[in-house]
Amino acid sequence: MPHVMISSKKCTGCHMCELACSAQHEGAYRPSVARLFSECNPTTAAIKGHTCLQTGCSKCQEACPHDAIVTKEITVKVKGEFAGKEKIGGDTVRGYVLVVVDDLCTNCGECYDVCPTGVIHEHPDREVAFKCDLCDGEPQCIAFCQNPHVLAVDLKVDKKDKELAQA
Amino acid sequence: MDFYKGKVLRIDLSAGTSAVELLNMEWAEKYIGGKGLLLRYMWDEVPPQVDPWAPENPVILMSGPFAGTNVSTTSRLVVGCKSPATGILNDSYVGGSFAPEMKFAGYDAIIIQGESPEPVVVTIRDDVVEFVPAKPKYWGLKTSQIEEAMRRDFDADAKTLSIGPGGENEVLWACLSTDQYHKAGRGGHGALWGRKKLKAIAVRGTGSVEIGDARAFLADMYRIHSEFVLTEDNLWANEEGTPVLAQVMSDAGVMPTRNWSTGTFDLVENINSDAFVRVRTKNRACYQCAIACRQFHEVDGIVGEGPEYETIALCGANCGIGDMAALVRFNHECDELGIDTISSGSVVGLAMDLTEKGVKDFGLHFGEAEGYVQAPSLITDREGIGADLALGARALAAKYGHPELAMEVKNMELPGYDPRGSFGMSLGYATSDRGGCHMRTYPIADEIVAGALPPDSLEGKAMKVVWGNPAEGMIGENFSAVKFAGIWCDFWAVTPEQIAQIFKHAWKREFTEDEVFQIGERIWNLGRLFNLREGVEPDDLPQKLYAEEGAHTTGASAGRAIGTETFKQALQEFYQIRGWDESGVPSEAKLAEIGVDVRL
Repeated sequence: MPHVMISSKKCTGCHMCELACSAQHEGAYRPSVARLFSECNPTTAAIKGHTCLQTGCSKCQEACPHDAIVTKEITVKVKGEFAGKEKIGGDTVRGYVLVVVDDLCTNCGECYDVCPTGVIHEHPDREVAFKCDLCDGEPQCIAFCQNPHVLAVDLKVDKKDKELAQA
Repeated sequence: MDFYKGKVLRIDLSAGTSAVELLNMEWAEKYIGGKGLLLRYMWDEVPPQVDPWAPENPVILMSGPFAGTNVSTTSRLVVGCKSPATGILNDSYVGGSFAPEMKFAGYDAIIIQGESPEPVVVTIRDDVVEFVPAKPKYWGLKTSQIEEAMRRDFDADAKTLSIGPGGENEVLWACLSTDQYHKAGRGGHGALWGRKKLKAIAVRGTGSVEIGDARAFLADMYRIHSEFVLTEDNLWANEEGTPVLAQVMSDAGVMPTRNWSTGTFDLVENINSDAFVRVRTKNRACYQCAIACRQFHEVDGIVGEGPEYETIALCGANCGIGDMAALVRFNHECDELGIDTISSGSVVGLAMDLTEKGVKDFGLHFGEAEGYVQAPSLITDREGIGADLALGARALAAKYGHPELAMEVKNMELPGYDPRGSFGMSLGYATSDRGGCHMRTYPIADEIVAGALPPDSLEGKAMKVVWGNPAEGMIGENFSAVKFAGIWCDFWAVTPEQIAQIFKHAWKREFTEDEVFQIGERIWNLGRLFNLREGVEPDDLPQKLYAEEGAHTTGASAGRAIGTETFKQALQEFYQIRGWDESGVPSEAKLAEIGVDVRL
C-alpha cells in the first residue's frame, strides 16, 4: 500500500527520479513538471525530498471543492533487482492512489495551497492540477534510483491505506 | 531534432545584448556536441592569432546531446576558449547541474563575446536574458557566496557558473565554478571571465529535452544502467572515489612528491583513501549521475567535497604535506577563491623547492603547514610572495634562473602522474591538445592499475596513446575526444559499443564502433589544426621526465628513465600513426579520410 518517499540521508541529489518521472508523464525530460523533487543545497549538501503521501495525507482531496481528486485502486510493481521489495514484502503491493480527474478539475488552486510537500501544481501547458499517480503501478522514480549503494527513492506503505484495504 | 535544442545563445558583453541563433546541425552531425562541436565553433568564432586576452576571444559553453536526460554522467558542460595561459585551445569540463539547466532553458550552447565596461552578472530565465550590475553587491564574493546570492536574488532554483576572487584578479589558473565544488578547473577560463568583467551566469530553465519515444528510451536506459553503469568496474568511484589512487600511485613511484623530486611519498598513509574514509560524511552526485562519486568530508570543522586525487597529489605530496587538516584547508581555500588546485599545488611546491635550494626564500617549506595554507589567498590577491607565485610555474622558475624546476607542458602545470613511473604518460603529456593534462589519454590504467603492459617501456605505447586499449579500460586520445563529445565522465568506463548504442537513439540510425572511433579521430585532428593555426609549441615535456640523467634516485620508480632518443622516436611513431608529418602537421590525405571540414 504504496507511496514514494525519498530518504534525505541516502539521496545523492542526482535527480534521476525527477528526470524519469517527467519522461514517463510528459513524453520528454522536463524536471520542472516532475511529480516529486529532491531539494539540494550544493554547498552544505543538505537534501530534502518532496513526494506525495497519497491517502496517508489526502489534504488535496479534502480541500478539492469539485471532487476532482479521486481514490483509485492500484497494484504497484517494483522494478529492479534491489528496490523496495523487502519493505513491501514482495514484488507487488496493492493499495490506493490519489489521482486528478482532468475533466472535473477547474484549476481553482485550493489543493496547491494545502499540499504539505509542495507536489501538486498547475500544469504549465494545461490548466489543470497534476500530481503523482505512481506511474499506473510502475513508478519510474524508484526504478531509476538504481545504484545499489543508494536506493534513496523507495516505496512505503501507510496505515490509512491498510485501513482502506480492509474496509 | 530530438536531444538537441537546436539553439545557441550569443551574449555580447560589450554591447550588453543577447541574441538567439540556430545550432549548426551539419556540424553537430559531424562533431556530435561537447568537445567536438565546441572545437568546430571555436574554429569559426576565435579570430585567427587573436590575443587571448582580447575582447574578440570568446568563451563558449557547450553541452552534450544527452545533458538533461537519464544517460548517467553526461550532464557535463565543456567550456572553451583560446587559453590565456597556453595560447592554444582549452576545453575544460565541469559536472554539476549547469549544462542540463541550460538545455531546459532552451540552449545547447552559449557564446560569450566582448568585454563588459562594468562588472556584470547575466541571468537567464528561459528566453529572458538580463544584464545585472555586479557592483557593489556581487563582485568580490567567494564561489559559495555568489551561488547563494543568485538563489536568493534571482531564482531559488538557479544554477550558477561563476568566478571567485581568483578570476576577478585574473589569476592564470582561475576556474569557473558551479554547485560550488565543481570546477572547470584548467586553462584559465576564470581569468578570461575576470578580464571580460563577467562575474556569473545564472540560469533557470523550465522547458524540456525531447527524445522521441520517451518510454522506449527509459526502458533502454534502465537496461544500460543495470548492465554497464552500476557495475563493479564503476562503483569504486562511489565507494572510495579518486583518493583510492593515492596509495596506488605512491606505491608505483608515480606520485609527484616534493616538487617532483621523487615518486613515492613517505607520508601517504596520512592522506590516502583509508584516511579520508574515516572522516567521510556523505556522497553526492552530479545531475543525472547514478554513480555519485563526490565524497564529502569533515576535517577540523571544514565540511566540503574532496580533495580528489589530483589535489592530494599536487597540494599534498608535491608540497610534502602529509597533514590532512592542512590539505583540506588548502583545498577549501582554492575552491572558495576559484583557483585550480593542480596549478596551485604545483606552483607552491616549486616555491618550496626554490626556498630549500637557497635560490629565493618564499618562507615556504616542504611539509610545513604554516605559510602553505595562506598561499591560495596570497596568490589570489598577488600579495607578498603571491605576486611571484601568480606568475605560474614556468615564469616563476624562469625569473629565478631555474627553468628546469617548472613542471609544465605548454605552460599548463602537470597533474599527479610522474612519467618516470609510467612511461606512457610522457607521450600523453607531450601530445595533449591543451598542454599538461592526464585526461586525454590515461596509460596509467594499463601500466599501473590493470598491470597489462609494462610501465617502464615505451614499446608500442604510441599506438595505445592514439587508440587506447578499451579491453583494459585504457582511454586513447581519439576515444577520449568522442567520449568528451558525449559528454561522458571518466567514471563510467563507457565502451565504443555502448556509445554506439546510445548514439543510435539520437540519430535514429545504427552506429558502428569504427564510426565512433572515427568521430574521435576527426575531433582530435580538428583540435590539432586549431593549435597549429594559433601557433603551438613543439610537443615535449620537461626533459628530466625522460632524459637518462633525470631518473629518480629514491622511491619505487628509482633508476628508471625513458631515454631522450627513445622518447623522440616514440613521438615520431605517434605522428606516423596519426598520419601527421614529422613536425606534427596532419596530412591532406588523413584530413580527407576522416572528414575534417576545415583546412589551415
